[in-house]
Amino acid sequence: MNSAALQPPSRLWLAALLLLCIGAALFSLHQQMPLAQWGALIWQPDLNNLDQLLVYYSWLPRLCMAVLCGGALGLAGVLMQQVLRNPLASPTTLGVANGAQLALALATLYAPTLLVAREWLALLGGGLATLLVFALARRRGLSPLTLILAGLVVSLLLGAVNVMLMLLQPQGLAALFIWSAGSLSQNNWDGVLFLLPRLAAALLLIGWLVRPLRLLELDDSGARSLGVSLAKLRLLGLAVAVFMTACVVSSVGVIGFIGLAAPAIARLLGARTLQQRLLWAPLLGAALLLLTDFGVQYFAGNSSVLLPTGGVTALLGAPLLLWLIPRLRLPAGRPQLQPATQLPRLQREQPLLLLMALLLLGAAVLALLFGLGPQGWSWVLDPQVLQWRISRILGAAGAGLMLGLAGSLLQRLTGNPMASPELMGISAGAAMGLMLLLFIWIGAPLWARLGMGFLGALITLLIIISFARRHAYSPDRLLLVGIAIAALFDAVKMLVLSLNDPRGQSVLSWLSGSTYFVELPTALMAIACGVALLLLCLPLARWLTLLPLGESTPRSLGVPMRAARLSIMLAAAMLTAAATLLVGPLSFVGLMAPHMARMLGFHQARGQLLASALIGALLMVVADWLGRNILFPDQLPAGLLAALVGGVYLIWGLGRRR
Amino acid sequence: MRRHWLRIFAGLLLWLPLTLHAASEAPYSRIVTLDWGLAETLIGIGVTPLAVADLTNYRRWVGEPQMPPQVHNLGLRSEPNLELLTQLKPDLILITPQFEAARPLLERIAPVKSLAIYRPDSDPLQTAEEITRELAELTGHQPQAQQLVDDFERQLARLRGKLAGQSLPPFYLVSFIDERHVRVYGEHNLFSAVLARLGQENAWQAGDNYWGYAQAGVEQLADNPDAALIYFAPLPLNTEQQLAGSKLWQQMPFVQQGRVYAFPPTWQLGGLLAAQRFMGLFEGALSDE
Repeated sequence: MNSAALQPPSRLWLAALLLLCIGAALFSLHQQMPLAQWGALIWQPDLNNLDQLLVYYSWLPRLCMAVLCGGALGLAGVLMQQVLRNPLASPTTLGVANGAQLALALATLYAPTLLVAREWLALLGGGLATLLVFALARRRGLSPLTLILAGLVVSLLLGAVNVMLMLLQPQGLAALFIWSAGSLSQNNWDGVLFLLPRLAAALLLIGWLVRPLRLLELDDSGARSLGVSLAKLRLLGLAVAVFMTACVVSSVGVIGFIGLAAPAIARLLGARTLQQRLLWAPLLGAALLLLTDFGVQYFAGNSSVLLPTGGVTALLGAPLLLWLIPRLRLPAGRPQLQPATQLPRLQREQPLLLLMALLLLGAAVLALLFGLGPQGWSWVLDPQVLQWRISRILGAAGAGLMLGLAGSLLQRLTGNPMASPELMGISAGAAMGLMLLLFIWIGAPLWARLGMGFLGALITLLIIISFARRHAYSPDRLLLVGIAIAALFDAVKMLVLSLNDPRGQSVLSWLSGSTYFVELPTALMAIACGVALLLLCLPLARWLTLLPLGESTPRSLGVPMRAARLSIMLAAAMLTAAATLLVGPLSFVGLMAPHMARMLGFHQARGQLLASALIGALLMVVADWLGRNILFPDQLPAGLLAALVGGVYLIWGLGRRR
Repeated sequence: MRRHWLRIFAGLLLWLPLTLHAASEAPYSRIVTLDWGLAETLIGIGVTPLAVADLTNYRRWVGEPQMPPQVHNLGLRSEPNLELLTQLKPDLILITPQFEAARPLLERIAPVKSLAIYRPDSDPLQTAEEITRELAELTGHQPQAQQLVDDFERQLARLRGKLAGQSLPPFYLVSFIDERHVRVYGEHNLFSAVLARLGQENAWQAGDNYWGYAQAGVEQLADNPDAALIYFAPLPLNTEQQLAGSKLWQQMPFVQQGRVYAFPPTWQLGGLLAAQRFMGLFEGALSDE
């Protein structure tokens, strides 16, 4: 079999793409330099001529960089997908790129001398992020969906740390804003010369690995019978992919989705075997990035806005992911709830619930009265000071309550312990609406912000529901849609932040979940809303108990499946929207609280709802208190701290073996 | 415990309407501000603010004038610490439109006044002057403000006269984001306005945003081959070495012709004092040649 042979229509597509690239390149070059100078550029470049200088040291290296980075990411994507047998694996979906970027950011701020070896630093960061993802997904047998979900959790967590750095060092991190959204702009050949030998080394390794890697297309036992050490092979393949990603990130920053899109498109165009994909995915990746970059240069060339190419690819990538999801054949492997026997089971739930309520009350009072002031740690009874604290505490508690409840509903609904408002993109939808508002109307009043946030959440919900209806409410696909929406939001956010507009700062503080602007009426309303919705949800307990059992059991017991699912989804969406308006989209409370409730032994739906709500509220109250005091007088957002604590908890709690 | 909590809560509810007291019109003395440009102008007219937001970064990015040690740090500019603010008992809180979101909260502590040096389609130098006078009205420091404005105008006139005979190149004004990207200041920028008053030209003509700057790749600065370049510290890490090793940078017309001037930190969103400081640095840079 000719390894690079594709069916004729695919060849046609590829030829067209190549022509398009060449055309775009010639057009772009023509914009840079008059036709008359082209000959001179090739035969005797005149470095005193500014046009030629720019082409030679800026336009050309940038073009090479786009080709190299696109190719490397495409290749890394194929490798990851092959090694993990997961069509959704890629540098961005596995959190590798974000890990590498964060390592560089931390070094820039706290240990600049380390930056001399920045690709190794990025490798370390990317490698650690990958390890985290695996630790999270390990217990569930590394099923494709779980791995991608774990990747998303880790990306969100790293994003939270990144946002915190940006909050504290706004001007100093301007460069990192741009890095987080990959700008390809070059002014010498250093970047290309840096990348070239490293990618060549990786390419050699891949060439050596191709034959054994092909065996991974067999099932595990088949491959093992041929005498291949699967674990070593996978590790090596993954390491090469992570290394390539790290090199790209350390030279131009995070470039979203090329690593996912290129292999997927190659597959759709008919590349079936590993060799075909290894050949075509990098070419497609290079072409995609190159075309995007020409587009960026053309549209944002000399305007006052610097559009980072990596942010744009991420923006284009999210719709692509949405389009891909229905077309993917995912191996079955739906993560199931833990069998109940493995968890402690409470005989009587009331005493523990009461204890938790008391604990919440105690924590709230403590958070209200005790904290840092101008004279250090102190108890405060001055009502003028307490007025600020009380609205924040109540707001945090209300938001936590709603998130815990929403998470619990969603996990019951999908039978998936990784489901949560954060991971389903509902929070992100609300946040997008609000961000838009902040840019078209500075200082918009509360009602407008409420309205826009709710609109965003509602639109997201409608997308998810309509998508879900078309796919018979398959929980897996539902979560993937959520991931795509969260990724889209992330791209929008990064683009907005990299515009480096002072307004970005206020967006940033809200995005990271600050209770700062929550006022008493809002906070009271949040508590009231949360409690009301909690009471409304309790009658759903029977449905919630039966739904995780699958399709046929509940139906045979007379549950109206459509109505049940829709009403639960609506309730969850309303809860999420309200909570997001209070504390932003960034917290793992909706994921963490139900999980903790299960660990404590709340197994009945009713008890779990109540316990999740209480735990959610408690978590947010504690996070808010920490945020107000850790870096006094600077205030860290509660959502951010909840996300940090939550991320660590998830990695510990979900990853450990029992 | 619960009863205690309820009592505080009830107290709060009763207390809330009382905070919406009418603003008094007397000269203010306990002034806090979230904006560095306003803080700087206050110092310029001889008023020491009670507290300023994000003093840690003020020291790094604004530098001059130095804030006296007794000035309190209010925390992040977007979220000034309300508890601390309450305990400091200010009588006036100065903000800019950018921080308008916090106004309802701040108004419960003290009267809030929003002053904008930067408005779309206005000359920042002129608004900076207006705002200096407004601050003087608020604090009763009119003579000092008049002095500041007069000094500035005198210095401006003197320098304009000095430069009248010379033909200077157009100037790019930039801050480095990293070795590949700059913030370049356009016509709505304060320093650009100073250049205009001095009869000089800003080399960046490609437009800017609300705050008077644009982001650009370094290579875009080659568009005007006759220009000189002024850049402001602080530079991001390693930028100097990376620029030194960059072929394109070395070939940029202003580098080739030795027309690059490094200025110490000067707040680009500042007021009259920043403008004055810029003018001094500009004169110094030209006379060094």
